[in-house]
Parts: sequence; C-alpha cells; structure tokens
Amino acid sequence: MALDVKVPVVGESITEVTIAKWLKQDGDQVAMDEVICELESDKATFELPAEAAGILRIKAQEGDTIAIGEVICSIEGAGQGASTPQPTTVSSQHSLTESKSVTDPQSTVAAENTPSQGIPNQPQGGGAGTGQTLDVKIPTVGESISEVTISKWLKADGDQVAMDEVLCELESDKATFELPAEAAGVLRIVAQEGDTVEIGATICRIEVGAGSGVSTSPAPQLSAPAAQPAQAASSGYGGSTTYASGTPSPAAGKILSEKGISASDVNGTGRDGRITKEDAQNAQARPAAPAPQPAAASAAPAAKESAAAPAAPGVRNSRREKMSSLRKTVARRLVSVKNETAMLTTFNEVDMKPIMDIRAKYKDKFKEKHEVGLGFMSFFVKACTVALQEWPAVNAQIDGAEMVFNDFCDISIAVSAPKGLVVPVIRNAEGLSLDGIEKEVVRLAKRARENKLGIDEMTGGTFTITNGGVFGSMMSTPIINAPQSAILGMHNIVNRPVAINNQVEIRPMMYLALSYDHRIIDGRESVSFLVRVKELLEDPMRLLLGI
Amino acid sequence: MLLCKSGYGAFSHIKRKIMKYDVTVIGSGPGGYVAAVRCAQLGLKTAIIEKYSVLGGTCLNVGCIPSKALLDSSEHFHNAAHTFKTHGIELDNLQVNLEQMIKRKGEVIKSNNDGIAYLMKKNKVDVYNGLGSFLSKNTIKITGQDGTAQQIETDKTIIATGSKPVNLPFLPVDKNRIITSTEALTLKEVPKHLIVIGGGVIGLELGSVYARLGAKVSVVEYTDAIIPTMDRALGKELQRVLKKTLGFQFFFGHKVTGAQVEGETVKVTAETPKGETVTFDGDYCLVSVGRKPYTEGLGLENAGVQLGERGMIAVDDHLQTNVPGIYAIGDVVRGAMLAHKAEEEGVLVAEIMAGQKPHINYNLIPGVVYTWPEVAGVGFTEEQLKAQGVAFKAGSFPFKASGRAKASMDTDGFVKVLADAKTDEILGVHMIGPRAADMIAEAVVAMEFRASAEDIARMSHAHPTYTEAMKEACLAATENRAIHI
Repeated sequence: MALDVKVPVVGESITEVTIAKWLKQDGDQVAMDEVICELESDKATFELPAEAAGILRIKAQEGDTIAIGEVICSIEGAGQGASTPQPTTVSSQHSLTESKSVTDPQSTVAAENTPSQGIPNQPQGGGAGTGQTLDVKIPTVGESISEVTISKWLKADGDQVAMDEVLCELESDKATFELPAEAAGVLRIVAQEGDTVEIGATICRIEVGAGSGVSTSPAPQLSAPAAQPAQAASSGYGGSTTYASGTPSPAAGKILSEKGISASDVNGTGRDGRITKEDAQNAQARPAAPAPQPAAASAAPAAKESAAAPAAPGVRNSRREKMSSLRKTVARRLVSVKNETAMLTTFNEVDMKPIMDIRAKYKDKFKEKHEVGLGFMSFFVKACTVALQEWPAVNAQIDGAEMVFNDFCDISIAVSAPKGLVVPVIRNAEGLSLDGIEKEVVRLAKRARENKLGIDEMTGGTFTITNGGVFGSMMSTPIINAPQSAILGMHNIVNRPVAINNQVEIRPMMYLALSYDHRIIDGRESVSFLVRVKELLEDPMRLLLGI
Repeated sequence: MLLCKSGYGAFSHIKRKIMKYDVTVIGSGPGGYVAAVRCAQLGLKTAIIEKYSVLGGTCLNVGCIPSKALLDSSEHFHNAAHTFKTHGIELDNLQVNLEQMIKRKGEVIKSNNDGIAYLMKKNKVDVYNGLGSFLSKNTIKITGQDGTAQQIETDKTIIATGSKPVNLPFLPVDKNRIITSTEALTLKEVPKHLIVIGGGVIGLELGSVYARLGAKVSVVEYTDAIIPTMDRALGKELQRVLKKTLGFQFFFGHKVTGAQVEGETVKVTAETPKGETVTFDGDYCLVSVGRKPYTEGLGLENAGVQLGERGMIAVDDHLQTNVPGIYAIGDVVRGAMLAHKAEEEGVLVAEIMAGQKPHINYNLIPGVVYTWPEVAGVGFTEEQLKAQGVAFKAGSFPFKASGRAKASMDTDGFVKVLADAKTDEILGVHMIGPRAADMIAEAVVAMEFRASAEDIARMSHAHPTYTEAMKEACLAATENRAIHI
C-alpha cells in the first residue's frame, strides 16, 4: 500500500545527496507531483516531487546524506483516501483526522482519549469550527516601509489564539511592531521567523471559530517542528532537539527574567539543549543594533561584548549569528553616508565649570519646581538650537538638486534602547525651555527603553546630538544621521589643566566634535557654529540674554 | 514568668520611639519566618509579629512537626507490637506511655521554637509578640496578651497569618470529647473508638497515630474517597492498607448531621447514601473537615486590603494584595495549604521586594500524607490528564517487587509515573510506600528540568533502595520495560 520514494538519479558521477529541507512534514497529506523536499548535491540542488498522492512518512531527516536509490520517505495510501496508521507512529492527530472514514478500533480509542484535541475539521463540511479561514496580512506600518522581518512568533502553529492576542513581533529597519490576531481561532503559520515579507503579504491564517483543533486543510504546517531542526543545529549540546530544548532550569529561569532575556534567545548547553544556570549567567541581551549613529556610539556595544567575554585561557570559541534586518539596514546606511557625503569633522573643547556650577546651585530647586532633573542635555540642546538658527546651513539638508533650509530645530537624540541605539526627535526644540527639553528627553528615553517609540517619533530630525561620553569616549568622529547634514558629538568630562587668564587651572573639560557634510556646509559655518555652541555653554548667561 | 517580665521591659523601652521597618511579617509560621529570614538576607530591615508566645505557627506548634513526632513514636510502637517478632526481636510487656510520647513531642516543638528564635536573632529580625493589626497601610499595632499595645511603621508588609480548622455549625467542638487536630495532639489517653470526620490528610494521619496505639478508628467521609484531590489510585491503595494493617473502617458518602457528648461517649449521627440515619458511638470525635484562612483581628479594612472568595486574601501573581506594598502568603491565600508552599511564597515575595524576578511552579509543589505507608504526588494526576485530554502513558512499579522493601517488610504501595505519550516528558508522579515523602523530591527535580521518563530510567539509583522503584516505574512508563517485574 505504501509507496517508497527513493532518491532518483540526478546526474552522472553523483552518488549521494543531502536533504536540504523538507517542505512537507511527516504525516502531511501530499498531492501527486507536489514538491516534498529539496535535495542538494555538491553540484546543484534539486526538488523532489511526490510520485503519488497520500500521507507522507519521512524516513530520512534534514541534513542527512543518503545514497542515490535509497528510500527517503514513503507515501501511504497512495491513490486512496485513507489508510491505517502505523501503530508505532500513531499520533493523536493522525488518528483524529482519519477517524472519520476509518473504523480501525485503535484510532477510535485514541480519539476518545483525547477529547480536547478537538473535533476533526472535516474538509467536506460537518466539522465543528465555522470553517472560515482568515488570511492575516502585514498591515501598513509606516510610510516608506515596504517590508518587515518576522523577528519572533509568540504563538506556535496550531495554537488556539484569542482575538487581539499578540501573534508575533515584526521588525522593520526602523522599529518593532506587534501583530495582534484579528479573530479568535486556530493559528496556521505561513511565514517563518526570520523571513522578510512585504506589506500586504499573508503572514498566517486563522481558522476562525473555537475548538477547531486539528485541521486537514492543506495549509502548510511548517512552524514548530520544522523550526526545530534548525535550532538543533545551533544548540551547543550534541544531543537532539526535543520538547525540552530551551527549557531553563529553575535558577536559570530566574536569572534570565532578571536580565530581561527570553529563553528562546539563549542556546542551552545542557542535555537536549536545556538552559543551565551557567548558560543563563553567560547570556547577554541580543547584541544591540544601533540606529544610524556616530562611530563612537556604535563602538560601545562592541566594547561591551569584548569585556563580557572573559579571555579564558585556551578557549577559542567563536559564534555566528544572523544579522537582524535592523542591523543590515544600519550597516548599509552607514556605508552609504560615508560614500555619498563629503563628511569631515571639526573639534573644539568646552569648559563645563559654569554649567556644573549652575547645576550644583539650582538642581534641587529645579527638580522641586519642574519635577525633572537638570541635566547637561538641556544646555546642549538649547545651545545648539541658538547656534543652528544663526548658521542655518548646519540645520539644512540636500534634497536632489535643492537645499532645504528649516526654520525649526528638530533635534534627534541618541538613546540606548533594548534593541540598540535609537534616535527619537525633540520637535521644535528652539521653542522649549530647559525643563521642557529635560522632560521631553526623559519621556523619549522611557519610551525607547520600553520599545514603544513609533516611527514618526524617530524620523524627521534636522540635527543630531550624540553623547559617546556616557560610555567614556574622549574624542570621536560621529557619522551624520542622513539625510541630516551635521551631528554634534559630546564626550566625557575630564579635569584637565587649562590656561585661564594666564594661570594654569584645573577645569572639567569636554571635547566637542561636529561632523558635517561639506557639500552643503562650509568650513566657516561649521566652525563658527561649533565655536558658538562653546561660547553659549561656557557662559550660559548668553542663553538668557540672547547674545 | 521572669522571661515575660524582661520582655515587657524591652517593650517599654522600644515604645518611646516608633520603630520603622522596610518589611513587617505578620505571622511566624513556615511562610512568615522564612520570608523574614530571606528579607533580612536581602538587606531589608525586618520585623516579625507573632500572636502566640512561641514562633513557628501552626506547622511547628500544632501541625506538621508534632503530628510527625507522634506518627514516628506510634509507628515504632506498632512495629514493636507487630513486626519485631518476625524480625527476631522479642519483647515482653510492651506498653504505650502516652504521657511520655506527648512529652517528647513537646520537647521536639520546644527545640524547634528555639531554633527559629535563634534564626531571627542571627538574621537581626526584630520579633514582636502580640496580635498584629493594621491601623493604616503603613502602621501596625501590636497588642500583647496582657493588653499592652505598641505601634510600628513599615514600608511593606507580608501577611502570613495562616489558617485554622473549619468548624461545622452542627458539630460544636468542645475541645474535650469533640476535638480538632490541636487537641488530638495532646490527648491524655488512647481513645477506645476514635470517630474521624473527614478523610483528608489530617484525619488520616492522626487517626493512624491512635489506631497504631490501639484505638478503633472509624472515618466518616462525605465524598466517595479518601484524600480525593490526589491521584485516585493512591487513595484506593491507602484505604486498603489502613483497613488491613490498622483496622480502619471507612464510611463513604455519609453526611454527618450532629454529635452529642453523653458522659464519656460521643454519639455522632450521620445520613447514609441511602438517606438512612446511623449513629456512631465513640469516646472521641476528631473533626478534620478542612482549614480556613485566618484573618481575624488583622484590621485589613484599615489598610484597605480586600478578601477574595472563601475568606482568602486576594492576591495577584506576585502575591501582592490590592494594596501596593502589602503581600500575603501561605494558607491565607489561594493554593494548597502546605508548609512548603508557604515557604516558597515567602522567599518569592522577599525576592520580589528586592527587585528580583523569582517564579514558583505551583504544579510542581508536592502533596504529601505522612501515614505509613507514606503518600506523595506531584504534577498532574491521571484524572486531570484525562480531563484535559492529554495523551499519556503510565508506568507503575509495586514495592512488593523491591528487594529493599522486602528486606524491611514494607511491601505495600507502588510508584506510578505518568508521561506524555509522544514526548515521554514526565507529567505526574504518584507514589505510596515507604519514605514516599522523601522520594517525591526526585520527581520534583526531574520535572523542574522537564525530564522524560527514560531520562530517569537511565540514571543510576543506588541498590538496594526504595528509590529504585521510581526508576523501575520510569522504565515501565518508557516502553513498559521494567526489569524487576
């Protein structure tokens, strides 16, 4: 009854092939000529079509290398509606789907034992659910975004989902989104984690209606089982991937939740891929993917990584990870900015004593009155907006053959967020008071940390400020945040001897760097801008008097 | 008395300034004192308030510990009377000295009381004796037994006031002939006929104590089984063994309608399943129909803490009440009334307060009955798996096939392992037999790591031990390939 499918002769001199991927799962109903798997030789890849219709029973697994002529799978009940499932591999699913037409006592018993698995959703009607299938499509998430990457499925294929329950996380080059279910029902995943899909494309289907349990619909049942072999390949332990892979031990679970790391982001080295306490201790949040940002800032995660990986003697592990789409976009943009602009950097230094004195004197009163701390950022933003209005080229940008000058100052601020650096924008910063700026910084930083920033909050800035100083940077040449034309880099404050009125004094000094696009900003403008910022910071009274 | 007086002296000294704490724990049972120790370990300034003069709560003073003391004593006697001869030990004039048994039990309690007091001192937890009640969310009044009152202030509070036995309105406890577990731990004589109302853990354990010492024990139970929340196979086996070895009589489906004391006799009336009225004549009647959360005098209304169903304090997943900063743990909140559950919750709350993110897997808190044979279970019961429609396989191994059990003449009982039909993951372990209460720990460890039945089957278990039964049951569950049966 079962038809053995053998590896066909694919070419002279080819004696064996590797199974690159099963496109159908064990137990799936396959149609004649439907492609069931991809084979790979050292010369080419091939598709293997089904030689008959029936139920697929996989014999050789993904990654296996098998000789030409060997059995790769079998197709049961070739040409027939149903067949008796092999006793050793009966899973409740199969017995359920087949029990409609089979009087085999075994499957009947199995069906009775597993009532909550649901009533078979019979293709010819008469089943439980409404039978309606809703295609879930990627919604429009923002202008200029044409595709998104599925960063994580939060529900598995076949899961019962409730209306508005979050199904998966999507990632564009700008932000992450959650996709809620548009109806209650059984989830059928179409696109896999890591796939990049276009806006409007179907990402999954929902079989509407509760309790429709097992379906015989030919919707591809790729999800969980299909994803497992891939996990196995990456898991540290030699053992196989099982239901328990990725299970954190009780202590490991606590450590991970305190670190805010999902167990699914950790490779377990315990038996069958379990996550041990040591795994959890060594786990790091996913390497941050900074937004298009200064070199100083993007260097920071790298520095953190090398610090966190202790150079244990003799250990020479290296690790490969797929680049997230965010990271890829960042990489592409940074290179294009370097290639397509005439970027250079001018430096200056600021004596921070006056601002530090003001802060020391007024920070309590400021806090009491405005309920927000008085930081350096407000002074820098304020000074920049004054200087930008005096040197409009620094606040302008090139658009094709035209230059766009902006009468407003929308200042992008680099903020550390869980997924990397993001650059939310303070709108019309020129009109804000110091406390207004501080409040906006706090609000945006909070939203960034909670991953709640929307794309509209991160686009449209006219000038960027980045502070590599928080990571300890002394001096850097930031990269412009395109399409803007200039970026100010703040650095750490260090006590240095300086000459004040011909006396050597120790002052808290900060180097400032302004990277700018020489195509639109002349040296006179950029240098004058930076000198002006320095003046305003060293004598904040000027901010008040407007001089 | 002298101790008491010096205590008052200390109080009057403290009274002058209001003490402020990061955390105050109300109740010093296993939930409360463990929470206090963990809070102190995490650097929080901690106080604990206990209504009674000794620390340890129900568990230590009138629960787990004293009952185990008497269970062990009575089991020794039972063995001496029934199995020593077979072992080749002959005794003349074997007698029960109940007074000494109760005295030893008291010493065990005292030693543990002192132990907890030491732990409080070691961890610099301030102990207040008296009834703690909220004046407001952050102020707690402590009223001593002599009526003196003092106040403390606290940032956060853990309510760990526990539970007390349920009384039935038609069955007034006189604490003399009609008694609760508390009195059953201090009887002056071995009952001739002890009528136990309720076939739960407490009734069976205390019934066992006196049955072993010679009492006739009748268990009157409203439902159709003993220990009905555990896997049904365990109750069946326990019922069989208690009948066989201790002469227990069970009356199921009986609805007790009243009890009357006439001199030294207690007459318990009940309705049979057929609706007929029957009377049980005994000399003592133990009412063990359950326990209820205890929140009397706590002044919850002053703090705004709301109660949930059945008098429990309503809490969220972090065991926080509706009032931020006030938490509740143990018997006073939802879940099984077990000391070890309360302990886990005490640690959890302390760590949450310290900003950590601990988690309790409530499904993996084992249930234990300290009869002999002991009964223990963890995870899903067979009944639950069937109700959920989970496809599972079961493997059992009886102790009568265990070499070690035969050597010690403890051949009653079995270990039953339930595993997922497809993945072989262990979903539940249920055992009745010698040292089952200790052996269940292996199952908890295995299930916390989501081990499969075959995983356990492939781990070496020392021979000859009772734990081999666990391994064999796992072998049976794996592919029905137990070796020794």
